[in-house]
Amino acid sequence: MNLFLYLDRESPVHRLDPRTKIFLLLGSFVAAVLFFQPGPLLALLAVLLLYGAVGRALGNLRRVWFLLLSIALISTVSWSVFARGSTPLVWRVTWEGLRYGIGAAIKIDSMIVSGLIFLSTTRTEEIVLGLIRLRVPYQAAFAFSLAIRMVPTIIGTALAIRMVPTIIGTVVTVAEAQRSRGLDLESGGPVQRLRSHVPLLVPIFLHTLRNTDQLAKALESRGFGAGRERTSYLEIGFHVADAFALILAGLILAMFIAIRFTG
Amino acid sequence: MIRLEGVSFRYRSAPEPALSEVTCHIRPGELVGLLGRSGSGRSTLASTLNGTIPHLVRGELRGRISIAGQDIQGLRPRDLADRVGFLFQDFEAQLFSTNVALEVAFGPENLGVPRAEIARRVDRCLRLARLEVLRHKAPAGLSGGQKQRLALASVLALEPRALVLDEPTSDLDPAGRRDLWEAIRRLREERALTLLIIDPETDEVGWADRLIVLDRGRVALSGTPAELWSEGDRLDALGVKGFTLARLATALGLAERWQDTDGAAAAIRAAGWRVAEGAADRLRRADDERASGGALLDVEDLTHRYPDGTEALAGVSCAIRRGEFVAILGQNGSGKTTLVKHFNGILTPTAGDIRLSGQSLRGQSLARLSRHVGLVFQNPDHQIFAERIRDEVAFGPRLQGLSENEVSRRVEEALEAVGLSDAGDLDPFILTKGSRQRVAVASTLATKPELIILDEPTTGLDHRELLGMMALIQRLNQAGHTILIVTHAMAVAATYVRRVILMQDGRIVREGPTREIFGNESGLFDLGLTPPPVVQVGNRLGVPALTLEELVGSLVQGTEGPRDKGTETRQ
Repeated sequence: MNLFLYLDRESPVHRLDPRTKIFLLLGSFVAAVLFFQPGPLLALLAVLLLYGAVGRALGNLRRVWFLLLSIALISTVSWSVFARGSTPLVWRVTWEGLRYGIGAAIKIDSMIVSGLIFLSTTRTEEIVLGLIRLRVPYQAAFAFSLAIRMVPTIIGTALAIRMVPTIIGTVVTVAEAQRSRGLDLESGGPVQRLRSHVPLLVPIFLHTLRNTDQLAKALESRGFGAGRERTSYLEIGFHVADAFALILAGLILAMFIAIRFTG
Repeated sequence: MIRLEGVSFRYRSAPEPALSEVTCHIRPGELVGLLGRSGSGRSTLASTLNGTIPHLVRGELRGRISIAGQDIQGLRPRDLADRVGFLFQDFEAQLFSTNVALEVAFGPENLGVPRAEIARRVDRCLRLARLEVLRHKAPAGLSGGQKQRLALASVLALEPRALVLDEPTSDLDPAGRRDLWEAIRRLREERALTLLIIDPETDEVGWADRLIVLDRGRVALSGTPAELWSEGDRLDALGVKGFTLARLATALGLAERWQDTDGAAAAIRAAGWRVAEGAADRLRRADDERASGGALLDVEDLTHRYPDGTEALAGVSCAIRRGEFVAILGQNGSGKTTLVKHFNGILTPTAGDIRLSGQSLRGQSLARLSRHVGLVFQNPDHQIFAERIRDEVAFGPRLQGLSENEVSRRVEEALEAVGLSDAGDLDPFILTKGSRQRVAVASTLATKPELIILDEPTTGLDHRELLGMMALIQRLNQAGHTILIVTHAMAVAATYVRRVILMQDGRIVREGPTREIFGNESGLFDLGLTPPPVVQVGNRLGVPALTLEELVGSLVQGTEGPRDKGTETRQ
C-alpha cells in the first residue's frame, strides 16, 4: 500500500503552496468543462503538459498511458457511433459525432493529466495541510488523502493483467503465487480471462481488508482524531511565485472563458 | 504502571473467552516479555492496554485495567496515545507518510504539540532509531528493519510512558532484528520506559526483567528469566520453547544459568566434559551416508536486472541434486527470493540459463513448469481463495486438466501428508496461521512437483507449529521430493538442512554442507547471520554439532585421554 504518485524532486511547481496548486487544479477543470470542441481543449492540454514539464512530473504519465489511451479510444469510438450529426462520414458515424468524441476524449484525459501533475508535485501531507488551511475539517482532509493513497492500488489492480512493473506489491505477489500454481492469466477469451482473475481478487480483497483494519489501529494509537487542536510540522505559505502562478493561470482561464463566450 | 485485575475478554461470536481472569502488575520501568503459543491470548492482552479492545475490536470485556494509576475504561487508543505506545508486527501498515521526518511528526501533530517541540522530538527519535541520514527518504523505500525502527521512532515521538511491542521482529531478518533490539536497549538507557514485549521465542526476550507465559487466556507461569531457566518442561507443556542453553545444561546435568554461549562452553569444560575422540569424524561420516542423486536443477551464470535497472542477481551459478534438502540463507535484499522465483519461471533471466533435468527453462510456460517445480510463498494468505480446503488444494491439479477422480485422489493424498485429512470441508480462513500454511503446502503437493521450494516456511508459526511444519517438510524429503527452503531461522537450517547456500548482494558467496558452513562463525557474521546457540557452544568446544542431541552425544565425562583434534586448534 505504500506506493505514491508523488515525485520527490526540485521544481518551481513543487515549491508552490499546496493551496495554489489546488486552485490551479480546479481552474483546469473549469476550463476543461467549458468546451466541447477539440481545438481549445487541445490548447488546454498543451498548457497542462507545459505545466507538467516545468514540474518535472511528466514521467508519471508513462505509468498511466494505457488508461489515457483506453479512455481516449472508448470515448472517441462510442461518441462517434452514438452522437447524432448532419455530416455523415461512414456508416452511422458523422463528422460532428467524431469531433464531439475526440473533444470528450481530450477533456477527460486533460483532467486526469492535471490531477496527476497535482499528485506528482504535492506531498500528501501538503494536500492535507492545504485543505485544512482552506477550512476543510481535518478528518475529511485525511480521508481524502487516504483515497489518494488508494489511487495506485486501483490502477494497479486494473492493470494487473498487463503486469506493469510499477504496480503495488500485494497485487504482484498474489498474481505470482497463483501463477506458480499453474494459473494462466494470459490466454482464453474475455470471459475466460475474467474468470481466471477470481483467484486473484479474493486474496487481494481480504488482504486489503486486513490492511485497512491494521491501519485503523495504527492510526488511532498514534493519536489520530485525539480531538485536540492539531499542529503542523510542515510549513506552507504563499510567496511571490504563488502570486505569479495564480495571476498567470487566471489570465489563461479568462482567455478561455472569453473564447468560449465570444467566439 | 500497568495493572490488570480480573480481566476477561471474549471476541464477539467466539464461544470461548480469549482472556479469563488475568491479573498482573507491571512496575514502572520494568521490561516484561510476554510468551505463549499462538491463540494463547498474547495479542488480545496487549490490545486491551490501549483501548483497541473494546473500542476497535468488539467483544465483551470485564475487569479493571489501569495505566499509571488511572482506570482506562471508556478511553480510546487516541486518548491513550501519549501514555501507551504500540508497535505492531506489520510495519507496512503503520507507515503512512511520504517521508521519514513527517512520519515521526504525525503523532505529535495529532496531539497538538507546538512545532518547535515536534522538531526536537523528530530529531531525538530519529537519532535513537539511527535513521537521521534517511530523514528525507520515503518510508516505502526503506528496508524492513529500517521501517520497523521508523515505526518505533514514530511511537516514541508521542513520549509514552509505556510501550507495547507486539512481535516486533517476526518479519525482520537477523540484522534487522539485532538493530531493533539495540535501539530498544539504547532507549532504556535514556529513559525509564515500561516495556511489554510479545515474542514467540524465549531466547529473544531472555534479557527481560520478567517473563509471563499465557495459556488459554490465563497467566500460566510468571517469573524472572533466572527463575524460568530450568522450567523447560513446563514451558514445553505450554507450547513455548524454553531457553536453548538451559536445555543443554539440563541434558548435561548442570544446574547453573549461562548468560551466553562463551559462558556455557567454559562451564561445560569446567564441569569435566570434553569432546569424545573421533566425534567430529563420526558426525561428518553420517552426513556422507545421506548423499543424494544426480543433478535436478542447474543454474548457470544467472543474472537478473529489474526494469528500473537494479541488478538483483549478478552471475549466480549453483546446482541442486535430486533428493537434496537445501537452504538459501542471507539478509533481506540479498537476492534469495529473486533467485528461487526463476526456478519455476515467474521471473526470466536477464542473462544466463537454468536447466531442469537437463532441459532449459527458457520458453517454457509457467503452467507447464508448475508441474515440476512447486513454490510455496511465505504468506499463505496471498494465495488462499476457496471456501473449502478441498477446493483450494484441488486448484492446481484441476488447472493441469486432470480427471476429477485423479484430482480427488491427489487432494486426499496431499491433505493426508500435511495432517489435514479431516478438515477438507472446512473454510480455510477459520484455521490458524500454521494450518493455513499447511493448506498452502498441500496445494503445492497436489501438483506432485519433483522440486518443492518453500519461502520462509516457519515465519509467524509458534514453537509447536514450527516443529510440525518442519517434520512435514522432512517427511516430504524422505518420500523423495527435493526440497529447497529460503529462511532466516538459523536453528531450522541447522537441524533439518544438509546443505546451505549463502547469498549476499545478488551473489552466492559460499555454499557447502551445513556442518562446514556453520562451523565457520566469522564467515556467517560477515553476512549478518548468527548460528544458533547450540552450534556456537559446539564450535567453542571443538565439535561441529548442529543439534542439541548431536552435541550431547559428542561429549564424554573425564579429563584424561587424548584430546580431540578440533579442541587443539581452537585453543
